[in-house]
Amino acid sequence: MQVRKYLLKGLHRLQKGPGYTYKELLVWYCNNTNTHGPKRIICEGPKKKTMWFLITLLFASLVCWQWGVFIKTYLSWDVSVSLSLGFKTMDFPAVTVCNASPFQYSKAKPLLKDLDALMKAVLERILAPEPSRANATGALNFTIWNQAPLVLINEQDPRHPVVQDLFDLFGSNHNGSAGGSPVPGRTCTAPGCKLAMRLCTLNGTVCTFRNFTSATRAVTEWYGLQATNIFAQVPRQELVQMGYPGEHMILACMFGTEPCSYRNFTRIFYPDYGNCYVFNWGMTEKALPSANPGAEFAGARLVLHEQRTYPFIKEEGIYAMAGTETSIGVLVDKLQRMGEPYSPCTMNGSDVAIRNLYRDYNTTYSIQACLHSCFQDHMIRSCSCGHYTYPLPPGERYCNNQDFPDWAYCYFDLRMSVVQRETCINMCKESCNDTQYKMTISMADWPSEASEDWIFHVLSQERDQSTNITLSRTGIVKLNIYFQEFNYRTIEESAANNIVWLLSNLGGQFGFWMGGSVLCLIEFGEIIIDFVWITIIKLVAFSKGLRQKRAQAPYTGPPPTVAELVEAHTNFGFQPDANLSPHAEAHPEEQTPPIPGTPPPNYDSLRLQPLDTVQSDSEGDAA
Amino acid sequence: MAPGEKIKAKIKKNLPVRGPQAPTIKDLMHWYCMNTNTHGCRRIVVSRGRLRRLLWILCTLTAVALIIWQCALLVFSFYTVSVSIKVHFQKLDFPAVTICNINPYKYSAVRDLLADLDQETRGALKTLYGFSEVKSRKRRGAESENPAWGGIRPKFLNVIPLLVFNEKEKGKARDFFTGRKRKVSGNIIHKASNVMHIHESKKTVGFQLCPSNDTTNCATYTFSSGVNAIQEWYKLHYMNIMAQVPLEKKINMSYSAEELLVTCFFDGMSCNPRNFTLFHHPMYGNCYTFNNRENETTLSTSMGGSEYGLQVILYIDEEEYNPFLVSSTGAKVLIHQQNEYPFIEDVGTEIETAMSTSIGMHLTESFKLSEPYSQCTEDGHDVPVENIYNAAYSLQICLYSCFQTKMVEKCGCAQYSQPLPPNANYCNYQQNPNWMYCYYKLYQAFVQEELDCQSVCRETCRFKEWTLTTSLAQWPSEVSEKWLLRVLTWDQGQQINKKLNKTDLAKLLIFYKDLNQRSIMESPANSIEVLLSNFGGQLGLWMSCSVVCVIEIIEVFFIDFFSIIARRQWQKAKEWWARNQGPPCPEAPPGQLGQDHPALHVDEDLPTFTSALQLPPAPGVQVPGTPPPRYNTLHLARAFSSQLADTQVLDEP
Repeated sequence: MQVRKYLLKGLHRLQKGPGYTYKELLVWYCNNTNTHGPKRIICEGPKKKTMWFLITLLFASLVCWQWGVFIKTYLSWDVSVSLSLGFKTMDFPAVTVCNASPFQYSKAKPLLKDLDALMKAVLERILAPEPSRANATGALNFTIWNQAPLVLINEQDPRHPVVQDLFDLFGSNHNGSAGGSPVPGRTCTAPGCKLAMRLCTLNGTVCTFRNFTSATRAVTEWYGLQATNIFAQVPRQELVQMGYPGEHMILACMFGTEPCSYRNFTRIFYPDYGNCYVFNWGMTEKALPSANPGAEFAGARLVLHEQRTYPFIKEEGIYAMAGTETSIGVLVDKLQRMGEPYSPCTMNGSDVAIRNLYRDYNTTYSIQACLHSCFQDHMIRSCSCGHYTYPLPPGERYCNNQDFPDWAYCYFDLRMSVVQRETCINMCKESCNDTQYKMTISMADWPSEASEDWIFHVLSQERDQSTNITLSRTGIVKLNIYFQEFNYRTIEESAANNIVWLLSNLGGQFGFWMGGSVLCLIEFGEIIIDFVWITIIKLVAFSKGLRQKRAQAPYTGPPPTVAELVEAHTNFGFQPDANLSPHAEAHPEEQTPPIPGTPPPNYDSLRLQPLDTVQSDSEGDAA
Repeated sequence: MAPGEKIKAKIKKNLPVRGPQAPTIKDLMHWYCMNTNTHGCRRIVVSRGRLRRLLWILCTLTAVALIIWQCALLVFSFYTVSVSIKVHFQKLDFPAVTICNINPYKYSAVRDLLADLDQETRGALKTLYGFSEVKSRKRRGAESENPAWGGIRPKFLNVIPLLVFNEKEKGKARDFFTGRKRKVSGNIIHKASNVMHIHESKKTVGFQLCPSNDTTNCATYTFSSGVNAIQEWYKLHYMNIMAQVPLEKKINMSYSAEELLVTCFFDGMSCNPRNFTLFHHPMYGNCYTFNNRENETTLSTSMGGSEYGLQVILYIDEEEYNPFLVSSTGAKVLIHQQNEYPFIEDVGTEIETAMSTSIGMHLTESFKLSEPYSQCTEDGHDVPVENIYNAAYSLQICLYSCFQTKMVEKCGCAQYSQPLPPNANYCNYQQNPNWMYCYYKLYQAFVQEELDCQSVCRETCRFKEWTLTTSLAQWPSEVSEKWLLRVLTWDQGQQINKKLNKTDLAKLLIFYKDLNQRSIMESPANSIEVLLSNFGGQLGLWMSCSVVCVIEIIEVFFIDFFSIIARRQWQKAKEWWARNQGPPCPEAPPGQLGQDHPALHVDEDLPTFTSALQLPPAPGVQVPGTPPPRYNTLHLARAFSSQLADTQVLDEP
């Protein structure tokens, strides 16, 4: 009962809104709204009315369109980039130095003995067409050879290329067609003949030839493949032992004015370069097994990288030449991205679908780490063993010829596969904070001829405690790493369009076309609510009328003109006609016919417009 | 009546064209100020007291001025750009790589052409510096045995004599060959010495270039070092000789791809010389471009690191080097876009023999906005210089084309180191005896920006740039040298019938360090939406105005204002006419006024309340004898017959 009463009361209160019909409501709204157009619609003549109506409509649609544009711009999550350049105290980058040759050859010799002998024979085969066969073949270990033999493809007759194993004279006839031919490869040189590596699956059913246009490349590749095979079976500790020890590699060190020594370097085992030494890494010693010797270069290879990132020396490293002083000016190039939804990047790699294998080495995510992990992942899936250049996931084993005889075929197949690369590139995301080191490299001969003698003497004594000079110009490198005058360049992203920008532009547009504000929108909302109310009331009245079967209209006059309605709402004291109100009983005095010429005084109007009345009166007097 | 006319009549009836409602300008102003939505104006009217009104007038005017100023600033700064730098990780197109031997032609092949020139050069060296090639290499032994002039008059020294300048004798030079002293007119150009002051040695060497038949107006070039002088002098003659050799012959004299490229390896796959396209450069001979989109595909890399880049071993045949033309050994490498012309002489990277040069690349791509934001050009079609190169437009191409065109215009022949424009020939003595003088003069003008080339040519809007990090290592290492050289010799096969030497080879690695592409992009800082919303912000901030207000202002101040004035004038004219005509109908002026008054055309358009208030009582209306007090203003508004009728109809029930 109480609730109903309260509701009724509320209903009544709401009914006292701006009007009782739609028309009234609209007129009231137009007259009282703060947006600029609607008022004009009602207070002008018919021609202007139409014009203003069209203008208001046009502007309202313009505002809506522009708002759409702005919201779309905002939702495109653009970024603006700020670039700062200057000098500040920076963390010195971690410096990884490796010998370009991974192992001390003297120590690795026993392992590579068979391979080297084979290599020598291969070279002889290629270079000297008529070797003394008997003595060359005796001690060779053909188990290695048969895994991935080098073959000579004679293309002198392009229609029938003749494939011939380099050692096919020794009984192992892999290829039927080649076996019968009477040794044409013996007299064959570069343009006619190509070296290729034959890679076969386990039972030798499917073979591919990896062609090389140059014998140098073929031999190097072949040697690398075989050597890694050998090293993959050697325990990690032994490999580390074969590498260069820190005290032999780092002879003297200065950081600023502070002396430092090889003890300040962290050893890390890198498969391609053996023992590498990282200065300023601040991590516990970690090792990565496996190797890939390719000792063509003399000198050292170094890479600058951020602390807590893994040094990808093969991709990012640079050479320092033996017998020179290499000065490296460093500029730190930092990139800071906003992350989702602004740019597709990852903060720590946790949202990338690939397991970061380098995380075990306490390093942060980087895209190189992701790509390598991805490759290893594919390798394990298709070849069921891991490549030794990359870290192993738990429970997996590295590939070698004994256990996985067809891994080489599988590996080269995978490496050439475009699909694998595309998938990896699509799966890996960039990291949001990225640091690159831009280097300016300059070189000078070192040591100078004048100082050569004493420098070698001192260094030899320090290293080997011998008075003999054990070092030579080709064995030492001096590195200077310093910051350039401007040592950092930061590219930082920030949101181009923030919510403040959006609001101020929305406000600007609304204000520009219609002079509106948020309050106008609230006004509009209010009107809509009123509209709904009126509809409800009408519906209620209609249903009531239906129930009482009384279909007569509340009044039978012509509808009130706009002008009257205007007057009704600009002048609060003005009541044009009581019949407009459905609650006629609220005005009982209106029932009696009004006395013409003397309406009841309405003092409200007097108080409301003092200026106007004065003026109109004076004008009336003048007339 | 036709339906069109009907509609017209209806429109005319429903939407009659009428003048402004206000009778006078003062009324109009008042009405405007009271009813406008802009703030400030109302204050002027409402305020009491002169000072306050004045203050409000000032405030309003200041606000208007501020709006105009700020909006002008917004408009002027509309064409600004904002720069954004983006770094993407993606599969990258490998650039085109052009590799040249520094020495253009095999010395054994061009020796016949250059025999006379070389002999004279040697002779000049002997006479000037006492250099003789007694202990020089064997291969030139045969010629160098007779460096004496042998009685014949040398032809090259005769055309451009080398001169020796003595510091003591200003303005005098000695022709070293004839020994004859000659007077040198004032126009001495010291190469490089106008930039920096080099310690002047006692003796400087130079040469003099004169217009064909006018020896008084010669330009003399001196060099701080004899090395430069001899080389420059040699180069001039060399260009002369080579300009007369047909292109096919030149290509044959230079190195073939099979000779230059010993091995090639790209992205883990072998490649061969067929993957390289020949490009003949006038000063570098045969150059070879890798990945030049010859079969419409551009190679790309999807992995960073040296393993996945281009690895080549080059054969630099040092024995075939020209001793006077080039003094360094090695190769030149240029990394460029596929459709770009390789300006190898300007921007190449030199690589050393017996070394492995590893070049790590970083790609930066730049996009600029063209007109009206900046002066750059998209493809050069709007630059008034004909592109004589068979390549996409670039600033350098434009500059060289401009120079070459000017050269053909002024000197009548084309310079040798740039392509030929249509209907032109390369310069040589036989046809253009004084082209060198002309060329030097023109080049001087070009460098000093007197040829307008620099102002005419515009930069391109988009360009790719590869930042290179170059590092060197000795190669091959001592232990691997032996077998490596042997296998490489085998690789070369019949190409060369000799054992390769370490100093004949150079190894080159070109790779992307990582696949991060940096793009620097310009984008418009302002769009039309932002501009409008800024306008809106300004208008709203100062006056709470909008476009509606602006339309209002236009309506009130430009349409109503003038129509009121016009009406006034018309009335005055009519009055004057009536007075002149005599008084046929004295009621006319008030009637006119009444007719003109908008409130009287009430048949369709009902008066607004405000306008009704300002109405003078209509002439025909009877003012009631005992007018009620103030509130009868309401009734005044209804004093029109039509409206009364309406009211009565409403009141009836």
